Amino acid sequence: MSERVVETKGLVKTFRDFWLRPVAEAVRGVDLSLERGEVFGLLGPNGSGKSTTIKMILGLLRPSAGEVRLFGMPPSDRRARARLGYLPELSYLHPFLTARETVRYYAGLSQMSGKAARARVDELLGIVGLKGNEDRRVGGFSKGMARRVAFAAALVANPELLVLDEPTSGLDPIGTREVKALVRRLASEGMTVLITSHQLFDMQDICSRVSILSHGRVVGGGSVADIVARAPDKRHALEDYFAEVVA
Amino acid sequence: MRRFLALARTAALEALAEPLSAVLFLSALLMVHLAPVFHYHRFGEAARLPRECGLSALLVFGLVFATSAAVRTIGRELSSGTASVALALAVPRAMFHCAKTAGVFFAFLLFAAAAATATILAERTSVLGAHIAAMGGDARIWGPGLASGVGTTLLAFGAAAAANRFLNWRFCSSACLLTAVAQPVALSAAAAMGGFAGESFSSVARTVPAFMLLAGACLVFIAIAAALATRLGQATVAAVLSGAVAVSFLAEPVASACRPAGWAIRALLPVISEFWKADALLGGGVIAAAEVARLLSVAALLMALWLGVGSALLAGRELP
Repeated sequence: MSERVVETKGLVKTFRDFWLRPVAEAVRGVDLSLERGEVFGLLGPNGSGKSTTIKMILGLLRPSAGEVRLFGMPPSDRRARARLGYLPELSYLHPFLTARETVRYYAGLSQMSGKAARARVDELLGIVGLKGNEDRRVGGFSKGMARRVAFAAALVANPELLVLDEPTSGLDPIGTREVKALVRRLASEGMTVLITSHQLFDMQDICSRVSILSHGRVVGGGSVADIVARAPDKRHALEDYFAEVVA
Repeated sequence: MRRFLALARTAALEALAEPLSAVLFLSALLMVHLAPVFHYHRFGEAARLPRECGLSALLVFGLVFATSAAVRTIGRELSSGTASVALALAVPRAMFHCAKTAGVFFAFLLFAAAAATATILAERTSVLGAHIAAMGGDARIWGPGLASGVGTTLLAFGAAAAANRFLNWRFCSSACLLTAVAQPVALSAAAAMGGFAGESFSSVARTVPAFMLLAGACLVFIAIAAALATRLGQATVAAVLSGAVAVSFLAEPVASACRPAGWAIRALLPVISEFWKADALLGGGVIAAAEVARLLSVAALLMALWLGVGSALLAGRELP
């Protein structure tokens, strides 16, 4: 029987102002479940509640109603959070650190020891294509290069669940292809991946299952193989399905 | 512990890597080293002006440097999202807050140690200058003290520039570190040139407790800035902190007018007039060890209080 890595039930998030008046209902009753080893795409137009849902899964935001379970535990449980890696939508990095120091910093936050951390950092910087730039400060990196550093940082502790918020944003076509190949490889090794993106063509390539959010609600989703099988235009199957359910 | 060290090290580096930090280190230390040059009034004692100049530099430059670093490393990281990545991992929020604040404490204590060492040298330069003048000499400045103090400080900046050019070191953080390291070198050089002849080490070390006390009070203000930065913007923290410093200066008059208000201030803030012990050193006086221990205990309790407040505020904060 497959293990449930993430499960949300009736997830609601209402943002409130200083006087606790509701300002926006970003998420309105979202039910999701991710099984171990799958690549799950959370799709939706801008403002549909994808990032808010992810932040509730990560424990950065508290749900107004509903429940989140991460490896069967609440996200506030550090044992659950110790098993995940996170790549945020924007690459928030310390500009004064080098690429190597940045990834080592995250290795330190994951309690990795000196020798193991050094080996892992060197390996990851090679995997994300930053060999030769390890000792450059990230403040001078292009958006795409900073994205690669952030990707390496998310992977440093070899997480069981990898949460990727727009992983290909800022990457060139070669970089995008490399990220897709890496995600496929990680999933084949048993890593569960939760990914959001607006690149539906790429998502069709790498996701095994998707959920589509609109105005904070799940409006569609299912197995990508089924969506492609049903579509007349196989190449743009996910794009057509997305347009249909969101409209 | 590894997480704590990773967070604290990065916070200390961030505090020192800002251009403002290098400017404040250089300005404060040069001001202290140059104090004997502007020695037209002795205020009853040759060493008084440089000593009070050093303590003022610690209070003003040190507070500006460290509180802005605390607000940056906590407030800016929370608002920009850098903190979200660390907090999404298994880093407890209380540990994040305390480790970041500890990193800023380290950077501030480096500044305080450099300022104290520079002050000891400036005091000796001033005393020897007065001695030369009293002996009928023309010079009112003891040249070797001034040259070693100013020279090593400027050389440290030069060395940081060279290290940046040839070894790719970060300029600002290495300038701060090398400047701090340069102060004991300058003091040793001055001692080797006879700057401490006839002066026992205990009288030189009288200055250190005064710096320790004032640094203790400053650490409380840094902890307050860090706690406020978990919820408020940079400008608001600066305004509230300025108010807190002003209130701590006015604690005694307030307490004499309204005793409960005085108690409230003492329960939350260090009373600057108690931590500023320059007067106790006049005429060869010393600060009693028991008084130093008492005031440092008060500062430690207030620091713990504000670290707890900051941790609680961060624990309750959402990170959108």
